[in-house]
Amino acid sequence: MRPLRIALTKGRLEKSTVALMERAGLDCSALRDKGRRLILPIGSGLEAVLAKAGDVITYLEHGACDLGVVGKDVILERGGQFFEILDLRFGKCGFALAAPAGADFYSGYQGKTIATKYPNVARRFFQGKDMDVRVIKIEGSVELAPLLGLADGIVDLVETGATLRENGLAVVEPVAEVSARLIVNAASLKLRKAEIEDLAAKLEAANQ
Amino acid sequence: MRKYTKLTPEGVRDVLFEECRARGRARERLTEIFTRRGYQEVMTPGLEYFDVFNLPGAAIPQQEMYKSTDHAGRLLVFRPDSTLPIARMAAARLQSHRRPMRLYYCQNVYRSCPALSGKSHELAQMGVELLGASGLRADLEVIGTAVEALEAVAPDFRIELGHAGVFQRLAGRLEVSPERREEIRATIEAKNYGALDSLLDPLGGSPQAEAIRRLPRMFGGEEALAQAERCDLDGDAAQTLAYLRRLYTALKELGLGGRLMVDLGLVQRNDYYTGVVFSGYVQEQGGPVLTGGRYDGLCGQLGAPMPAAGFALDLDAAARLGTGLGEAPPAAVLVHGEAGYEAQAQRELARLAGEGVRAEASVWESLEEALAYAREAGIEKVLCAGETVRELTGKEADL
Repeated sequence: MRPLRIALTKGRLEKSTVALMERAGLDCSALRDKGRRLILPIGSGLEAVLAKAGDVITYLEHGACDLGVVGKDVILERGGQFFEILDLRFGKCGFALAAPAGADFYSGYQGKTIATKYPNVARRFFQGKDMDVRVIKIEGSVELAPLLGLADGIVDLVETGATLRENGLAVVEPVAEVSARLIVNAASLKLRKAEIEDLAAKLEAANQ
Repeated sequence: MRKYTKLTPEGVRDVLFEECRARGRARERLTEIFTRRGYQEVMTPGLEYFDVFNLPGAAIPQQEMYKSTDHAGRLLVFRPDSTLPIARMAAARLQSHRRPMRLYYCQNVYRSCPALSGKSHELAQMGVELLGASGLRADLEVIGTAVEALEAVAPDFRIELGHAGVFQRLAGRLEVSPERREEIRATIEAKNYGALDSLLDPLGGSPQAEAIRRLPRMFGGEEALAQAERCDLDGDAAQTLAYLRRLYTALKELGLGGRLMVDLGLVQRNDYYTGVVFSGYVQEQGGPVLTGGRYDGLCGQLGAPMPAAGFALDLDAAARLGTGLGEAPPAAVLVHGEAGYEAQAQRELARLAGEGVRAEASVWESLEEALAYAREAGIEKVLCAGETVRELTGKEADL
């Protein structure tokens, strides 16, 4: 049987994940010194690949990887069929609705326009409130949109709120909490339950 | 405007030689099993009214269906599932038919998936429905058929049992809004243990809430069943569990011990299942290759109440698992008719067919072209039909 394959989100989550795996007693030397390799062994019986956040889910859903570490923000935006078995409690931040400070976002009967990098999260949030809004997808700095009069508010990831304040925006309402999650392909969890639960338990214990 | 003359739409594809052969082989084996067990083939139309798939509690999300309209503007869908149309057919046309009805099908279903997800929108499925029977014997018959089908196409499989009733009955006694119940169901489905805890914590520690909290973790071998039994459930939920245990024991007696799994957290949405549910898994397949279960309420919704159970097997996966057959070998013989003796060649072909020889007719004008073709295609013997039929050998064949 091939080693369990875990897809890690490149970048910040990768560093925290590697640190956690090391605390759990896994040999991550290949991840520390990648060289040109794309598939990196972690001890025996486990190997890692690094991918962009959305791709982690794609590889996992198709069964090309058994496990993945990915932010809840990506899970909420992209959705998908898999098991989300562990909250790793790092990479914490939150989705929030923000609008120009001092303005009453919910007042008036005019339909609102929302600029966001996360159209599905935004749409679902307002659907939950039975509110019709116009959602515009923006690729870069979303804070710009209300300043230019393109949008009444934004739905975005907020960590400290400093960027919002600098741009004269304020949080109207939190939308969802975000942190890194350990996700598992459905068939893999069923067929390799013991190995996967063992790994999840190790990570959970090291995370205390 | 770009013309899409050489492309197929996203999510569908051409299936060629080797794969068709593997699929055909899987279909033959499954047909043999189903017919031997008394199932008869049915076909339902590729187009159905939208309403068939929009029954309360059994609705398929409308964004997943390919839709069209008929000449009167009524909404049609490309068959997104075979069980609902077969239930419709049984309810409408087989009301007075002898029970139970054992039906099998081999047909495609269509599902619209998000763009660029790499998923197939056209799925070849083969499955059975056993209508008008319920109880342990009927469930064993359907699961036994599923096991035999899996054995034929994927020898190294696992089959997993669950019961739609466990969650339904436990959740029915929780004092929560339907929206909250749906949230709980979704977190169990995703095995999102953390989120489930935070949904259940405010509900206090009632035995139902505690049992629900453990549902998504109760999967695996026989120990998962034992774990559930230790939860001290009462009433309906306990009976459901006892039934699952009987079924498990019976399947174990069939020699399935090591291949049998249980998941008490199988709680799919848009589910017409009411009783036992089961899935077949194979290594490296990413998702289940077979899904099925008992749906006792569905035919009633269509006006002819009757218990029913069935399953569908992913024929594409079966074909993938059966590749390695390679392409079909070349014909053994090429028959070329000389000018004026074309019909003679066809007669010779029929004679060879009678002997069971795989032979092709030459469609070339000249013998030289026919020989060149035979060499390229790897056909070893060339017959030339004229006054008589003679085999080309030696120098003549090397032209």
